[in-house]
Amino acid sequence: MKVWHIVKRVLPYIIMYGIAFLWIIPILWMADTAFKPRPEILSIPPSWIPSHFTLENIQRLFAQWPFLRWLMNSFIVALSVTFGSLIVSTLAAFSFARLHWRGRDTLFMILLVFMLLPWQVNVIPLFFTMTKFGFLNTYQGVALPMIAMPIGVFLLRQFFINIPKDLEDAARIDGCSSFGVLTRIIIPVSKPVFAAFGVYMFNFAWNEFFWSMICLRKSAMVTMPVGLKLLQGAFEIDYGLILAGAFMASLPSLLVFLLLRRQIIRGFTLAGSGSKG
Amino acid sequence: MAPALFLTMSRKKIGEFLYRHRWLEGVLYVIPFVSLWAVFLAWPVGYGIYISLFDWNPIHGSKFVGLANYAELFHEPRFWNAFGNTFKFAAMTIPLIIGFGFIFALMVWGWGRSRRGTTAVQAVLFFPYLLTVSIVAIVWKWLLDRDFGLVQHTLSSIVPSAPVFLTSTAWALPAIAFATAWWLAGYRMVVLQAGLEEIPKELFESAAIDGAKPRHQFVHIILPLIKPSLLFALVLTIISAFRTFGQVLLMTDGGPGRSTEVLALYLYRVGFDYFQVGKAAAAGVVLLLMILFLTLLGVRLLGLKSELQ
Repeated sequence: MKVWHIVKRVLPYIIMYGIAFLWIIPILWMADTAFKPRPEILSIPPSWIPSHFTLENIQRLFAQWPFLRWLMNSFIVALSVTFGSLIVSTLAAFSFARLHWRGRDTLFMILLVFMLLPWQVNVIPLFFTMTKFGFLNTYQGVALPMIAMPIGVFLLRQFFINIPKDLEDAARIDGCSSFGVLTRIIIPVSKPVFAAFGVYMFNFAWNEFFWSMICLRKSAMVTMPVGLKLLQGAFEIDYGLILAGAFMASLPSLLVFLLLRRQIIRGFTLAGSGSKG
Repeated sequence: MAPALFLTMSRKKIGEFLYRHRWLEGVLYVIPFVSLWAVFLAWPVGYGIYISLFDWNPIHGSKFVGLANYAELFHEPRFWNAFGNTFKFAAMTIPLIIGFGFIFALMVWGWGRSRRGTTAVQAVLFFPYLLTVSIVAIVWKWLLDRDFGLVQHTLSSIVPSAPVFLTSTAWALPAIAFATAWWLAGYRMVVLQAGLEEIPKELFESAAIDGAKPRHQFVHIILPLIKPSLLFALVLTIISAFRTFGQVLLMTDGGPGRSTEVLALYLYRVGFDYFQVGKAAAAGVVLLLMILFLTLLGVRLLGLKSELQ
């Protein structure tokens, strides 16, 4: 009886930690491989703890590839997409939520239909559109298609609609223009939803692969996800180098996640479930 | 013309002008978004349909061919192979993603309240979602390496008859589907967890007083109330499964043979490796229509229309 009691108390912990351990193995193994010398990477059976800890893979990565440049490219693209998207989506969502004009609901309905269509499927026409603009191999070329995401307008509009009308009416009576209503009333109380949407957009742009790979073809211009593909392109698969690249590329996400775990998870929860209402 | 007009007015005047022309004001706010959206998201859809009607050649001139690209597509076994692989992949990865996501959500939600370390468990299960597809593909390709891969080696030593996943025509696609689930399940977990937390606690209390077993609570309380969140997660997962590209390109490059070539990869090969742009655009239109159909089905299922009110 007593034994059963203990088992019943401990079992959930064992299952939970067990699953979490299994789930994190790929990450641990990636970090492990990045610091192992070549003979140890290619050993059978695979060895867990590196007997000769080495930075050689990472040194080779920095010596042979413009890794920091890729990191910088990714930052530039992700930051422009995030801020660009926050600005244009906020303006549009404000209009859809708070202003009244003919055709508003029709336009919103059209955006809604497009909301869930994956734009990446359009890489062929997008490629030729960008060729015409001369935007291939540029930051604006890779960033511009990611800025106007209908899901952002939808998310922000949902939030703006629920802000009490009384505040706005009072401000209007005091002579506030609608831009004043936006900057003085709507924006200050919407910080949580901006944070959530910002996190969502940054992650989206930081990790985008399909379009980035097609738009960016010069090694010096590519973002991190595409750069990692270049590492794989060598004739002989150099797992030490590739895994060092993957590990270094995941470090920024890991550090930010460790610092802001709660905010990030809350952001994704809001972005993921908020859009269903 | 309107902006030039504004330059001649004072701030107060602009305010009054906009107040009298409210239609214009409403439209002004949506212009930045809508113009970007129209040029880079909506226009390519139409342009793609246009290209798909041509034997496209930007250098030597394009020739209108009507529906010939579609006819060629539908007569090509390679297209149907990619079509079938896309559905096979979706049929494998969607239940894995939703299944893992839902089980994890139930675990973290149900066992979380009274136990230590749940936030750490949640963080570990969520983290892979923050990684880019290249990292996911590199790591899993390495884990499944036929000679030195940790997972491959471990499985092969437990089950001697285990296949070499990434070089097997039957097992490469399931392996990619599993890697995809490892990547995405954490996001579904947090969304579903939020859905579970919205269920009023009193329901469980009164059910417990009435003597309902956990099994009954699951069927009669949790399932009906989580259904909207579950359906929403399902729609998102269907869409991401059908546009899968990076994992396949980087893990198997469509191989062995063409056993993992999905539609997005086929489209890429035809368009950017063989330069049959018209045909690739046609494949894109087909893929888009498939996704549109599934999305509308999902919207119907979810009743998203009610959101408009």
